Amino acid sequence: MSNIAGKAYAMNVITPIRWYMTWINRLIFKIALKNPETLKGLITLSLIHYARWVIVPRSGFPRLDPSQPKEDLQYSYMLFFSNFNGSWDQYVDSFTFAIPAGLDLFWKWNIRYPKSVPLTPFHKYIRHNQIDTLHYYNAYPMASSNDIKSAQKIKKALIDFNTTSVNKTPDDFLKDYNKLLIDLQHHFGDMKPTPIVSLSADAVKKRYLQSHLNSN
Amino acid sequence: MTYKLDLTDIQGNIIKAYGSYNYQKARYLLFRVNDGDKGRQFVGAIATKVTSAVPWGKLEGNAVAGKPQATTNIAFTYMGLQALELPDASLRGFPEDFMMGMAERKEILGDDGPSDPKFWDRIWKEDVHIWISINGQSIEAVEERYDWILQQIDACKNGVTLLMGHRGETGEDNLPYQDASVLYDNNGAPSPKEHFGYTDGIGDAVFEGQTNVAARALGRGKLTRDGNWEPLATGEFLLGHVDEAMEYPRTAPTPALLAHNGTYMVYRKLHENVGTFNRFLDEQSKTFSGSKELLAAKFSGRWRDNGAPIVNAPDDTSKAEWDKRFAAADFAGKKRMLSDFTYNEDMHGAKCPFSAHLRRINPRGSLEFGVRDAYETPGALVNRRRIIRRGLPYGTVKDATRDDGNHGIIFMALNADIQRQFEFIQQQWINYANDFKEGNDKEVLLGNHDADSPGKVVIHTDPDSGKPPHFVTNIPRLVETRGGGYFFIPSITAVKLIAAGLIDPT
Repeated sequence: MSNIAGKAYAMNVITPIRWYMTWINRLIFKIALKNPETLKGLITLSLIHYARWVIVPRSGFPRLDPSQPKEDLQYSYMLFFSNFNGSWDQYVDSFTFAIPAGLDLFWKWNIRYPKSVPLTPFHKYIRHNQIDTLHYYNAYPMASSNDIKSAQKIKKALIDFNTTSVNKTPDDFLKDYNKLLIDLQHHFGDMKPTPIVSLSADAVKKRYLQSHLNSN
Repeated sequence: MTYKLDLTDIQGNIIKAYGSYNYQKARYLLFRVNDGDKGRQFVGAIATKVTSAVPWGKLEGNAVAGKPQATTNIAFTYMGLQALELPDASLRGFPEDFMMGMAERKEILGDDGPSDPKFWDRIWKEDVHIWISINGQSIEAVEERYDWILQQIDACKNGVTLLMGHRGETGEDNLPYQDASVLYDNNGAPSPKEHFGYTDGIGDAVFEGQTNVAARALGRGKLTRDGNWEPLATGEFLLGHVDEAMEYPRTAPTPALLAHNGTYMVYRKLHENVGTFNRFLDEQSKTFSGSKELLAAKFSGRWRDNGAPIVNAPDDTSKAEWDKRFAAADFAGKKRMLSDFTYNEDMHGAKCPFSAHLRRINPRGSLEFGVRDAYETPGALVNRRRIIRRGLPYGTVKDATRDDGNHGIIFMALNADIQRQFEFIQQQWINYANDFKEGNDKEVLLGNHDADSPGKVVIHTDPDSGKPPHFVTNIPRLVETRGGGYFFIPSITAVKLIAAGLIDPT
């Protein structure tokens, strides 16, 4: 069990919300999606790889088989799913102080939501309602979403540059090559292993690698 | 509103950078406690000489403090507080990082390769319990206070042992103290330089409760949306006060009197590879389009000669103009020119690269990446990651082509939460750069560069200039950790309570 895979931390939080209030959240989500400006804080937070909010109606929980008894739930639920850099403990401050109003707006109608500031009650509320990740697959364990976005950008630019450069004179080639470097100057970050997220996570990883080594 | 601190209760080294009050010499001592009772007796004796934060020569309440020839301050490791027999209920309230100590946190700090604790000064293999600092206006004053402290060891019948094992000037590895000193220029005048030639100790964090706080907060507090600066919340640096999260720091042990007006200190002995640095700078400047001094400034964010921030003096011409304005400015104006700036007009890093030391340790408003009003406040990602820096250089450079002399910095960081402040900066911003969208590119000067897989940084250019960015490649390990620990600096009240054996969290 670990919430960490490669350079990403997975967070699943499921919080109860009064079923007759969910329409407000749906409206808020709709408005936010239509006006990306309202999400600019979230988007600018480069530590976040991904974030999604979903309302699960109280009658909408999946059943594996018709024979599984239907649950009679008092509340609907809001699922928050996110992947980000580091860990919740390390980065809770960054979330809270960057986008407190946004967090409060999204969780406002959720049961016993304490508001994002002061920080400790918020930190505990999320941790209390967090469902730890049982299985977590990461296709690019050495990459954060910033790295992947940069790599995509560089790949495309290089392919384009290659096709357009075939018949250039050396002088033009140099000029265009310099321009290529300028265009990409914020996308050249090295990609190496992640700094350790916590000593306990690091210990788990080392034990896993060790036992793998022994069994091979 | 002015927030008033009890300066008679706060240890002086938290509020004052002694170096800027003409205390040019310092000596750091480490002790082991052999016996709880006698150890407390020793602490009680030291408590009589502990220097408070009361402004010198001014009235503060009923207390008047003359400026002493030497100051003394005291701090404890977790093991030290155990040895002094603090109750378990109090000990359990300390945070995990402090309990573990620095060596155990090496994976987080990136203290690997030549910085690994196995290569540290051998004193760090001892049971380090108490740290005592002496700052003096002269070496004689330091030595006089040092002799007085030695007498207190005798007086407490060896309840504590002064530990040996600091490395020194001529290769000896058994010194009973670590000396530090400002560096002197060719005329013998004290200078604010360190061994790589950078001007050091300029932009410390400023918090509510310090004197003259409105003027000092410029460029050193927190940036507001309208471009002003306010002091940071006291609780970022002192336990028992409200912090930026509008709560009391969770790192405070109980009872409240043990924690109140205390803080945590990160002590690090950082060796500087002077020969490697000089060769590296020479080599890299051969392919750099600007001057060698400009490249050196790109590494740190400040020009080496006078500390001019490159964001306001981004090339040789503008530097010459900056120097003229600086020469004409009065004392307050000079301070302001050195500290009061942002990266708002430098979102591409063409003036000050994202990898520059200054921009990494305090990004000011730049983590909004130029997105207007992205966050609640421009410093949203920064205000909880600030530290107060203390310390002085140690040793002398006898041969600027070599690394193996005795030269570096005694670095001390003060903060209310080591994990959230110092360790975060070291791990996420110096040795990693995802927050800056620079992948694993490490800060040039302090990064734990790996000899087997050396890193690089990009020196950005203005996109309109047509000039390609410069790549600084094959960066060697320029600074190595040679020792260090995590300490608790209690208030003077708490030092006395510890000495009296009166700490009781019930």
